[in-house]
Amino acid sequence: MHEQALIDDLIAKILAVAEAERGGQVVRVRVWLGALSHFTPEHFREHFVDASRGTVAEGAEVEATVDDDLTHPRASGVVLESVVVASRGNRVSG
Amino acid sequence: MSEPETREIRTDYLARVEGEGAMLIRLRGDELEEVQFKIFEPPRFFEALLRGRQYTEAPDITARICGICPIAYIASACNAMEAVCGVDLPDELRALRRLIYCGEWIESHVLHTAMLHAPDFLGYDGAVELARDRRDLVELALRLKKAGNTLMRVIGGREVHPINLRVGGFYRAPTVSELQALVPELEWARDAAVELTRWVAGFEFPDYEQDYAFVGLRQPGEYAIERGRIVSSTGLDIDVSEYEHHFTETHVERSNALHSTLEGVGPYLVGPLARYALSSELLSPLAREVAAEVGLGPVCRNPFRSIVVRAVETVYAADEALRLIAAYERPAEPWVDVVPRAGTGHGCTEAPRGICWHRYEIDDEGVILDAKIVPPTSQNQKVIEEDLVGVVRQSLHLPEDELAHRCEQTIRNYDPCISCATHFLKLEIERM
Repeated sequence: MHEQALIDDLIAKILAVAEAERGGQVVRVRVWLGALSHFTPEHFREHFVDASRGTVAEGAEVEATVDDDLTHPRASGVVLESVVVASRGNRVSG
Repeated sequence: MSEPETREIRTDYLARVEGEGAMLIRLRGDELEEVQFKIFEPPRFFEALLRGRQYTEAPDITARICGICPIAYIASACNAMEAVCGVDLPDELRALRRLIYCGEWIESHVLHTAMLHAPDFLGYDGAVELARDRRDLVELALRLKKAGNTLMRVIGGREVHPINLRVGGFYRAPTVSELQALVPELEWARDAAVELTRWVAGFEFPDYEQDYAFVGLRQPGEYAIERGRIVSSTGLDIDVSEYEHHFTETHVERSNALHSTLEGVGPYLVGPLARYALSSELLSPLAREVAAEVGLGPVCRNPFRSIVVRAVETVYAADEALRLIAAYERPAEPWVDVVPRAGTGHGCTEAPRGICWHRYEIDDEGVILDAKIVPPTSQNQKVIEEDLVGVVRQSLHLPEDELAHRCEQTIRNYDPCISCATHFLKLEIERM
């Protein structure tokens, strides 16, 4: 039920990372989806595509790892593991 | 074309629920023209997915609506199904339902009072930041919350979404010794809740009052929790089955939560302030004594002081739990048979945030044909908007970030579902 709010927060973090990297375009993000996060990779990508539209993260590849450990301390969470940013001036065409 | 040069930045960032609400303030010159409070949390279609399911499944399915107040949904659904099937719960099972509900009031009220709302008054972002300076208070609150959770676990089988409740009672009734074992911690919790009340009563409260129409349950002889008639400060006094003759839900484009109004009155308030105004004389002597000590009169119309009323209700819930345990005798049977019959049943109980109303239509086989659920937060949404207009009008001189903080604090007065996030509100100010 909170997918949109989670993705919005994640996008805000990704954009902050890109900004810190002098505004380069985001090429790829790696996320970890907890066993109880209620996300599948497809479901996550769908939300990501919507939320990133019109930002430097639009079109970024999403690498999603699903964990199946129900007892993991972050099992109900979504973790942004890393963001790959193109160096400024290297805009990646769609 | 060569691959662009890239750089990978490790983040290990755990996403948080943020921004489920938004607020638009429209100004014409220095005059406030409009305030709109929007809730984005998407519809969850519980009413639709209940259709076709068995009447026995409604309590467990609706419990999933909220992880903080599942008992409210379970109890309202059970009441409704028992009503349609013509079953009156025996007193000892009714008392056990009330007892587990006390556990929910304690854990929910303490979570909101100490962890979510108190930091607003003290200038902290949240409980973690508060703990750096007042570790003692945060630890007291955590232990107090745990006392409520333990009560839920011992009776309900687990703390979140308990699984031991059913239409007609419980799958298993706890033994006397299982409940007696909780007494020392609940006695500590009662004292701790008094301390919590004194602490929050010392906060500085904005000077703001609203002439609310209060709506809640009222039950002769007891502070209403798990049953009662629906009454209001405007003179309404009806059976829960008459709710839809007097209350209307409407959809507004800007919000996914429906707006509720009381016929002939308009917006109304449910929750601690309403319960307290309608039934404060039915609180236990200790809770009444604490309320008087911290300066609460018979009615409190300042929504920022709802934190104090919530703490007083925590005292009451611990006190009432101890009374119920002292009187407890293990029922001969943990449930009564509830044989389905075609008809419509209604149930309403006092969730920590206010009345939680259910209606179900079932057939002779017990299949649910239709369902309607009215949670407390959506009932309060229209009155939250009215409060925001008043508060914003008083606070237009504040810088934008302080104004946003004051608006979040105002919305948290109502303990709405969306306020778990630290910064849940996106504030937009439109100047014309």
